[in-house]
Amino acid sequence: MTRSTPAVSGRVALARPRGSGGQLAVAGAAVIALAIASMFVGVSDVSLPALLAGDRTAWDIFWISRVPRTISVILAGMAMSVAGLIMQLMARNKFVEPSTVGTVESASLGILVVTVAVPGASLLAKMSTATVFAAAGTALFLLVLRRIPLRNTLLVPLVGIMLGGVIAAITTFFAYRYDLLQTLNSWMIGDFSGVLRGRYELLWIVAVLTLVGYLCADRFTMAGMGQEFSTNLGLNYNRVMTLGLIIVSLISAVVVVNIGSIPFLGLIVPNLVSIIFGDNVRRAVPWVAVFGAGFVLVCDIIGRTIRFPYEIPVGVIVSAIGSAMFLYLLLRKRERRG
Amino acid sequence: MNKSVKSRLLAVSAVASLLALSACGQDAGAADANANTETITVEHAQGSTEVPVNPETVYSFDLGALDSLDALGVEVDGAPTAQYPESLAKYGEDAVTKIGSMKEPDFEAISEGAPDLIIISGRTAGAYEELSKIAPTIDVSVDAATPVESFKEVSTTLGEIFGKEAEVEKQLAAIDTKIEETKAAAADAGTGLVVMTSGGELTAYGAGSRFGIVHDVLGVETAADVKSEGSHGEAISFEYIAEKNPAHLFVIDRDAAIGEAAGKAAAAVLDNELVAGTDAAKNDNITYLDSASWYLVGYGLNNVDSMVGAVQAALVK
Repeated sequence: MTRSTPAVSGRVALARPRGSGGQLAVAGAAVIALAIASMFVGVSDVSLPALLAGDRTAWDIFWISRVPRTISVILAGMAMSVAGLIMQLMARNKFVEPSTVGTVESASLGILVVTVAVPGASLLAKMSTATVFAAAGTALFLLVLRRIPLRNTLLVPLVGIMLGGVIAAITTFFAYRYDLLQTLNSWMIGDFSGVLRGRYELLWIVAVLTLVGYLCADRFTMAGMGQEFSTNLGLNYNRVMTLGLIIVSLISAVVVVNIGSIPFLGLIVPNLVSIIFGDNVRRAVPWVAVFGAGFVLVCDIIGRTIRFPYEIPVGVIVSAIGSAMFLYLLLRKRERRG
Repeated sequence: MNKSVKSRLLAVSAVASLLALSACGQDAGAADANANTETITVEHAQGSTEVPVNPETVYSFDLGALDSLDALGVEVDGAPTAQYPESLAKYGEDAVTKIGSMKEPDFEAISEGAPDLIIISGRTAGAYEELSKIAPTIDVSVDAATPVESFKEVSTTLGEIFGKEAEVEKQLAAIDTKIEETKAAAADAGTGLVVMTSGGELTAYGAGSRFGIVHDVLGVETAADVKSEGSHGEAISFEYIAEKNPAHLFVIDRDAAIGEAAGKAAAAVLDNELVAGTDAAKNDNITYLDSASWYLVGYGLNNVDSMVGAVQAALVK
């Protein structure tokens, strides 16, 4: 239980971060290596010799398809993991993330509503609607959470999953009524196969949000300790919670609209980082970002290679690996407490 | 408490027997109305069934059969709730009994309507046993391995049931002619690839798939050897299309169900640099197939004619 109480991380976070620049640089280099590998995986023949020889087609494919895909994998992986971390600080629980508290479900309900109401809506309109819905869904979760007197570690994600289930049920009902079930399915399963130059640029928004999340990490830690405590520390509790809500909702909405849902990512990455490096949040954010990017890169490369030349959506791979890891994390905590 | 349970049980059994009585009455009435008690034995995908000739009330879950019966001028009284294409729009109206969704029969509505024949296919094939208890049920699923032969058999059967053999024969002959013409056009039209767009993503279909008719029957050479198991194709990237470089791209727009004009959503998905580099795009050979026709209706006398027609038009352009 100690590990999952942010009070500990709060105290550590306020201390000066210990230097781990060297290790982080190694991890960053590993992610860059994965990114380079990712740029050379695909149906068309894009090889280093071809590129060096100045092959026009190879370079075209490289810039039109490979580079955008790799960048979007990194951005989505980073952002969703950091969003998960912020979510965990705000809910004071290590078992929540946007796809287990209803944020992602709410975002998809938003896309569905805008698609049915305004079929020709632009990507920006879809994203804005999805963000509003995601924020509303997340706020609802945080409100419900405040009313639960006994904050058992496992009860919190359970409440979130139930809430998400209700929202998903509403979404499914309307999708069914409008004959959009299969379309909804392909939206929801995260998939980078549609990423091309000119189609992913809005994802850069999440890079900015991730940075803001990093800069405000300490505040989220303090806010996570409760309204009274953080007010005593001179923090505007409501403002920080609202900021967190906006960051998490925007990241989720942008990623869901552009890529689809990548479940469990925001859960396993921050947890792994905290197991390995402890609970210093300020220091954890870069690690979470690097781990998140690396993990999704690996999953996307797997998805592209195991049924080559066809693809398996990254969402499927991530949830297969992620659910196993989630289970492991749950059981591991249980053992410790017992 | 005990008493109230008892009285409730009594009430339930009273209602049940009333229902049973009224059901009997209806049955007797239906039998009387059908002076023509002649039946024929119909062989279909799930066995053989005794079917009355010229059945009075017909319910069809299969939109292909619905389309065929529409083409033959036979009245269909019950159809599922679905996004009907324009040609079959009248079956979406309230005058036609709604018998469930494309996948799930509404057993109560069907029992109440007391049909004389129920027609089902792939999506509702699992309900065969249940539906057979209500009325003679035939499964007209078309075998994807030999779609045209299978479609002809089904059409002939429908012709026999409704006494329209000659009409069916005439229409099938017309379709055959069209298929031959299309094959001839396909012979030197180059390769083709069938893809479906859904939620911005792509799946490819090859020979032997649900849209395999393009290759298997109409003879369009395959641009890629897509082995799709299951009915939803293989997920592909835009690079795949660029790499296979088909001369003709046939697109089924799954998102058209949202209410946009067919092909509009798919056109937005395919409007990119990689697809633009293919021969199909360069020669203006990207054909947006009518999704209702291909995805929903499938094998019906009018519909096969228009499906073949669409491919033919694309090839001889």
